[in-house]
Amino acid sequence: MKVAYYPGCATHGLSKDVDIATKKVAEVLGLELVEVEDWNCCGGGFLDEKDEDAHVALNLRNLSNVEKMGLDKMVTPCSVCLGSHRLATYKYNENKDLRKRVDKRISGTSIKYENKATAEHLVWVLVRDVGLENIKKHVKRSLNGLKVGAYYGCQMLRPEQIMGFELSFKPHSLQDLISVTGATPVMFPMATACCGFPLMGSNPKGGLKLAFNVLNSAKSSGADIMIHPCSLCHLQLDTLQDKVKNEFNVGWTLPAIYITQLLGLSFGLSPEDLGLGNYAKGVLKQKGVIQ
Amino acid sequence: MPEVKQVEGKNVEVNSQPKSSAIRNEEKEIVVKIKRFSPDKGEWWQEYKLKVDRFTQMTEVLRRIKTEQDPSLSYRAACHMAVCGSCGMKINGAPRLACKTLAIELTKEYNSNEITLEPMDLYPRVKDLVVDLDDFYERMYKVKPRLYPSEEILEGKAEHRLVPEDQRELWKFAQCIWCGLCVSSCPSVRNDAEFLGPAAHAKGYRFLADPRDTITEERMKILVDSSWRCTYCYQCFNVCPRDIEPVTTIKKTRAWSSKMKDKTKVIETGEKHINAIADTIRKSGKLLEAEVYLRTYGLVQAMSDMLYMLKSGRMKYTLIKEVPVKDLNDIEKVMKGDEQ
Repeated sequence: MKVAYYPGCATHGLSKDVDIATKKVAEVLGLELVEVEDWNCCGGGFLDEKDEDAHVALNLRNLSNVEKMGLDKMVTPCSVCLGSHRLATYKYNENKDLRKRVDKRISGTSIKYENKATAEHLVWVLVRDVGLENIKKHVKRSLNGLKVGAYYGCQMLRPEQIMGFELSFKPHSLQDLISVTGATPVMFPMATACCGFPLMGSNPKGGLKLAFNVLNSAKSSGADIMIHPCSLCHLQLDTLQDKVKNEFNVGWTLPAIYITQLLGLSFGLSPEDLGLGNYAKGVLKQKGVIQ
Repeated sequence: MPEVKQVEGKNVEVNSQPKSSAIRNEEKEIVVKIKRFSPDKGEWWQEYKLKVDRFTQMTEVLRRIKTEQDPSLSYRAACHMAVCGSCGMKINGAPRLACKTLAIELTKEYNSNEITLEPMDLYPRVKDLVVDLDDFYERMYKVKPRLYPSEEILEGKAEHRLVPEDQRELWKFAQCIWCGLCVSSCPSVRNDAEFLGPAAHAKGYRFLADPRDTITEERMKILVDSSWRCTYCYQCFNVCPRDIEPVTTIKKTRAWSSKMKDKTKVIETGEKHINAIADTIRKSGKLLEAEVYLRTYGLVQAMSDMLYMLKSGRMKYTLIKEVPVKDLNDIEKVMKGDEQ
């Protein structure tokens, strides 16, 4: 199966390990990811507050490039990039005034969006198109005994009427993927709450509190490690482990890894192949998952 | 045209029904589990069973439980048509209006005949599904939810005129029915006492952006700092029964920051952050993380946060240089905006 791949800026930057693991896992699964030609930033979930029309136009440019590649599905590993593209097309189709302004803005550019290509989350493609049974066939090392918190975050689920893959108050895709690896999925009260990343740009203390709420909730529910579906949640929840630990005076960390990093481990890929971070390596060694 | 039938010798109009009798006659027995509460007894779950058909709203389910099975149950409902906002509660864990929710549809959506009902989160419980909304109303009144017209208008010397484009911009945001669902599910409200909450922002923006209003400066002082305290989790967009998109109004309110004279720290940091994002996209078509970080937080903070990068093993990624977009003309054109 061949799909257009939109990594997004964070996935090619500070969350590079998400990109590394995703490509490796896709290769094992026979999912051909073709990077969107000359892709641009989606606006990071923020640009629309400064310039809504530019935000929509930039996202249409990526989807227009996907259409030029002869593909109709653009898969991204980042929930914010997903939300950004889906909101842009929703607004473009629903708001006539905005559409007029955007059309004016894109005239004279290479952007020719025909409403054929749509953005999808990598998790949706894995669960629905690749299929859980097919993924299971590639599991070489059962992660039996590892308790994995399933953290969904915000924009893979919400707004439900625009994302539409699963019930936002009762999601199951990540639990299903965890189960495939042999690990035990752990649901926790803050599994669909915000990680606080978007707040870090204006009110970092508030953002860190939200990160603590999520990590603390997963930890209290018995998770050894947590998986998530977003390159920006990755920065917030994994990179800032020690910052959270210091700020909230707790004696633990709870590594947050990307979903494909967990799948890759069960496929027998090494921590290096998957770009696993230091916090995850520590816990996985302790649990006997890696040497 | 309504169908006419003979009933006891008289012509009677009946509503047109779907052709499939299976759908028309659909009936199910449901189990309703309600989280009960009273100040004396505390909290407990109670189960009720009843039959519903395809027309049965959850408010009707509650009415029948109260009148036919358990008069001690307390809940609020008034208009039964998603206008008054009084029947907000958590249904199968999701904040919804009970009147706008059909029991049979729920059983299909969740693939279960069991339905749970709980009071909205955040607000203090009064009894069973009834919560105290004083805090919600206080937030709404803080934004002065009414139009402040000019003296000329009040003296009858002029007319209020609104161009259709402006009305279209404001209309959606004026539809709030004060149900409180968005605030009950908002993480920033719990986190930060200075955040007004999504409903108040929707209402506030509706007047801030209204060209007929005369207290713009005051509204900016009330709304702009608070707008930078939202975390963009889209929960308010998700749960609003009127499709208002409060988060959109918060985004739009942030754009007013540039007009503020006295900026708070939160506004200043937020502005630096978004300007840096826009500038790096304009420059390369990509978001340059290191540059955005430095411009938002400054060198000292950035250096101290490097330690966390180092500890997580992510330091090597700070050196990645992303390839700029080849066709930068496209980016330049779409980012130019009003300058065009």
